[in-house]
Amino acid sequence: MNIIMCRSLTYAQRASSALERAGITAMVARAPQELTNRGCGYCVKVSPRRFTDALAVLRRAGVPHGRLFREEPGGRYVEVAG
Amino acid sequence: MIYLDSAATSMLKPREVGEAVVRAMRTMASPGRGGHAPAMLAAETAYRCREELAGFFNAPGSENVVFTMNATHGLNIALATLVERGDRVVISGYEHNAVTRPLHMLGARVDVAAAPLFDSGATLEEFRKRLPGAKCCVCTHVSNVFGAVMPVYEIAALCAEQGVPFVLDASQSAGVLGVDMERLGAEFVAMPGHKGLLGPQGTGVLLCRGAVKPIMAGGTGSDSRSQSMPETLPDALEAGTHNIPGIAGMLAGLRWIKRRGLGAIERHERRLKDVLAGRLEGTPGLEVFSSAEPSAQAGVLSVRSACIGSEELAEALAERGVAVRAGLHCAPLAHMSAGTIEEGTVRLSLSPFNTEREAASAAEILKKLVMER
Repeated sequence: MNIIMCRSLTYAQRASSALERAGITAMVARAPQELTNRGCGYCVKVSPRRFTDALAVLRRAGVPHGRLFREEPGGRYVEVAG
Repeated sequence: MIYLDSAATSMLKPREVGEAVVRAMRTMASPGRGGHAPAMLAAETAYRCREELAGFFNAPGSENVVFTMNATHGLNIALATLVERGDRVVISGYEHNAVTRPLHMLGARVDVAAAPLFDSGATLEEFRKRLPGAKCCVCTHVSNVFGAVMPVYEIAALCAEQGVPFVLDASQSAGVLGVDMERLGAEFVAMPGHKGLLGPQGTGVLLCRGAVKPIMAGGTGSDSRSQSMPETLPDALEAGTHNIPGIAGMLAGLRWIKRRGLGAIERHERRLKDVLAGRLEGTPGLEVFSSAEPSAQAGVLSVRSACIGSEELAEALAERGVAVRAGLHCAPLAHMSAGTIEEGTVRLSLSPFNTEREAASAAEILKKLVMER
């Protein structure tokens, strides 16, 4: 899964809601600890196949997001560009 | 019992509200405090409620909807954000202590746009004179004592012309009259969840446009390493555990209102107010504060007897099964404006669940009590 970091739970929910409306399955989840240096945080997980579409949907809907990551086999995360 | 005290709290609620509260207590934890199912179910409920409230009141987005304990809590946040000691703040002559006491505590210079009851033209003129140079303007949409509908959209437009932030107290109008944050251009709109929105006591909503000043700090489930409150809404104003049963109940209340229709609720309450006023007017020794102009008054009616004190009359009504509120209704300014500060009034306030028969019966009981003196 790819990970879209969000400012807060509400922003993650807003992102998820915009994505679901656009037909993209999105799951709100706690951000993996190693990805947040600010303590508790939330993210939205989307399929890598729909990642580019998802970012376009969020841009169009005016939903801000944080850093972006790709989950590698073995649970490692690699930061990716938007 | 005939419950006519919905301006204090709407005790008569849709069945779904109680069911939602119980369901939340049994199945939901806290939003933002975990990734497990009960926490995420609570988060989903809170988000749905924000989203539906934002849509209903035309707020910029779901993150602009902040859950509070009541309207007073929201007004305190709004005023702490906008007002500093010595600032001049323009308010109507019909504000509740929820506005005037925080302003007093903040050390604001309060400038009252005083006008006769039900006189929108005079009200607007007073605001027009006072707004230039003011730090902010606060106005109630509907007087909690007299049901007088204030010309808030016109006042908000005057504020926009002068660049004065506008704060709406929608305590008596949310869920009854149209409240449109974008059309108002309001900086803040504060409302209770437990009156017109038909949710449980202990709930409220503050619609915020932009920068805010928290009046409470604590855990938010976000940015936990930082000792400063997050700047992002709604987290900036929601320290501590949410009242999820209350939020779930408020959401159920809002959905009931949407099904019933705001217009239908407004017409129903105004019709019952007319039933009360029609039966009470002309009673010797009873002053009825009613406007002949239908749009000037919501479903709240005050009366004053020349021969029985307000508290005594309310007590006698309670003994006969009619629940009303007497005295100053936490709004001494409104009573000063209307000339009722000495005795106060007896207030009868309606809800979508009152019937015409109840209104007629309550009026006859009240009339009889006054005429027996």
